Amino acid sequence: MNKFVAMVGTNAKVSTNRTLLQFMKQHFADQAEIELMEITNLPLFNKPENSPVPAPVLAMAKKIDAADGVIIATPEYDHAVPSSLMNALEWLSHRVHPFVDKPVMIVGASYGSLGSSRAQAHLRQILDSPELRARIMPSSEYLLGHSLDAFDDQGNLKDADKVAQLDGLFKDFQTFVTVSGHLNNAKDLNQKDTQNFDWNKL
Amino acid sequence: MKLVGIAGSVADKSYNRILLKYMATHFGDLADIEMLDIKDVPLFNESDDQTESDAIQYLKRKIESADGVIIATPEHNHTTTASLKSVIEWLSYKIHPLDGKPIMIVGASYYDQGSSRAQLNLRQILEAPGVNAVVLPGNEFLLGEVKKAFDENDNLKDAGTVNFLQSTLQKFVKFVTVINTMKHPQDTGAENEDLGANGKISTTVEGVDMDAPDWVEQAAEKTHAASGNDYVKLDRGLLTVDQLNAFLNSMPLELTYADSNNQFIYYNKMAPAEKMLAARTPAQAGNPLSMVHPKNPRVIKHVKEVIHALRTGQVPEVSMPVPGNNADKYVVHYYRAMHDEQGNYMGVNEYVQDIMPTVKWYLAKTGQKLEGNPDATTSASVDANEPAADTTSSASVDEAAPTADVPEPKTPETDADSGASIND
Ligand SMILES: Cc1cc2nc3c(=O)[nH]c(=O)nc-3n(C[C@H](O)[C@H](O)[C@H](O)COP(=O)(O)O)c2cc1C
Ligand SMILES: Cc1cc2nc3c(=O)[nH]c(=O)nc-3n(C[C@H](O)[C@H](O)[C@H](O)COP(=O)(O)O)c2cc1C
Repeated sequence: MNKFVAMVGTNAKVSTNRTLLQFMKQHFADQAEIELMEITNLPLFNKPENSPVPAPVLAMAKKIDAADGVIIATPEYDHAVPSSLMNALEWLSHRVHPFVDKPVMIVGASYGSLGSSRAQAHLRQILDSPELRARIMPSSEYLLGHSLDAFDDQGNLKDADKVAQLDGLFKDFQTFVTVSGHLNNAKDLNQKDTQNFDWNKL
Repeated sequence: MKLVGIAGSVADKSYNRILLKYMATHFGDLADIEMLDIKDVPLFNESDDQTESDAIQYLKRKIESADGVIIATPEHNHTTTASLKSVIEWLSYKIHPLDGKPIMIVGASYYDQGSSRAQLNLRQILEAPGVNAVVLPGNEFLLGEVKKAFDENDNLKDAGTVNFLQSTLQKFVKFVTVINTMKHPQDTGAENEDLGANGKISTTVEGVDMDAPDWVEQAAEKTHAASGNDYVKLDRGLLTVDQLNAFLNSMPLELTYADSNNQFIYYNKMAPAEKMLAARTPAQAGNPLSMVHPKNPRVIKHVKEVIHALRTGQVPEVSMPVPGNNADKYVVHYYRAMHDEQGNYMGVNEYVQDIMPTVKWYLAKTGQKLEGNPDATTSASVDANEPAADTTSSASVDEAAPTADVPEPKTPETDADSGASIND
């Protein structure tokens, strides 16, 4: 059974994106092991020159390393990814590089009708950068609009169509993880490239 | 022009900060650029509202009082930095100081792309509805390979780059002017209100010093003005000047006439200055409006706006309670536009009145009382459903009863302490 890390893309105590990931964890319990990962408690990224990587960052990197894939649920703040998630990704690309070639599925929830579509596009762009180099599942989007009304008291998604769509995408993600496992000819090189990659050397 | 500069970095060293500093020191003739620091701003967290913190309030104040903002963004992972995004989130959550604010984006990066992706992304963020800034279109200033761009004194080495940066800033300065004019279309007109009364209208008495303490006497002599028992024909009636004075001076209102040239030419001298709600002295009659107001720029601006709004017919009347009103006294300054039969603006009729005695009298007469209404914008409301027990017996105003429930009047939007009243 695949092991996935599900990253909650916000430091807010109450989040419909967290609810969405919790739902996925329960709903897909028979298909995969999903562990939620919080991004709270990280300091503000200040591009430290040579101080050690903070312990919570190392712990997160380790979890991602060990996982078969990562699911990220992103809210949308000001038509973009929240700064707390950007901050986590800055830490996770600075001296540690757990995302290289890691299969990633992006989902997102928003209060309005658009379901964080702009934040998701933004997140793709970020994950594509040379120090992250994640393998984002192509041509897929899971947009959960009106997220404050989307769940019942038990935290289950109310709309059957939305559940069916998520089922399909999750199956695809499992396949994508398998396929990605075969795309390993350049993997070592990529890993080394990224390790050696240093914006300071450009 | 006052601009503020924000470098999107909390690192000890930032080329983007150096770039902004360079602009601030070298382009002082184009604009006054003040650098704002973001390093004390905490990471945005919806569950821990820090809007009131010093670091955020400082940014809010500085941005609000600036004409425009320059943001220099580094690029991290093909986007702008979390530290800058966090600042923008704070400034789009409970407060919105960037709303309508002209913004210029610049950026520097180690890479030859020069933060192009971060800039594009930042533009999109700044245009989101919660932020609603007005970003200078086009004119990307991308400083690539930034490590080679500055000399040891932090000066840009390449003359072409300096010229381009300067011309970009020039365009931005123009842009700021245009945007800010669009935002306050009435301001341009209001600015032109001449409180010095330097103009001349058909009734202006020439050859008499407007600030002479005996302007009235001098001007009366010059114009052979009617006085005493002379008759004046009015719409509608006929009074002598003495009758007219008795009539106006017994009005339960303090009246002031400022003509369309912004000259203060009359008030009904009903009492000595110290006994009036809004003090006027005999020597002031004839003064230009600029002389009877404090020289405080905020007050002047407000006076101009009120007069301009009346002159151009945007509003027929402006009313402003004065600061320090309470349950016993509620003084209001009213400014009403005056027009001739053809509708031409003739000036401002200002009348000042304490409305509280009227309110109390009405309450006592009708057996009602005031009740605070937390929902109302006006602070006192009449509860008509609750007649007092002794309706019939109370013929006189009971000083204590009706006022007990009157809450402290709220200062209105119009900002009474900068009121346009003569002598405030
Ligand atoms: C500063 C700020 C900016 C926001 N901007 C957006 C936005 O651009 N688009 C949107 O759909 N919701 C916006 N929201 C509202 C919700 O936070 C957002 O829909 C979010 O995706 C909900 O996810 P959550 O329940 O996991 O926090 C914003 C909220 C905040 C605090
Ligand atoms: C985590 C991390 C990610 C970075 N990603 C980029 C990038 O995507 N593009 C780029 O041009 N520089 C990148 N850099 C390098 C520089 O930080 C960047 O060029 C920056 O704009 C330099 O400006 P500054 O001196 O003001 O920080 C990155 C640096 C770090 C630490």
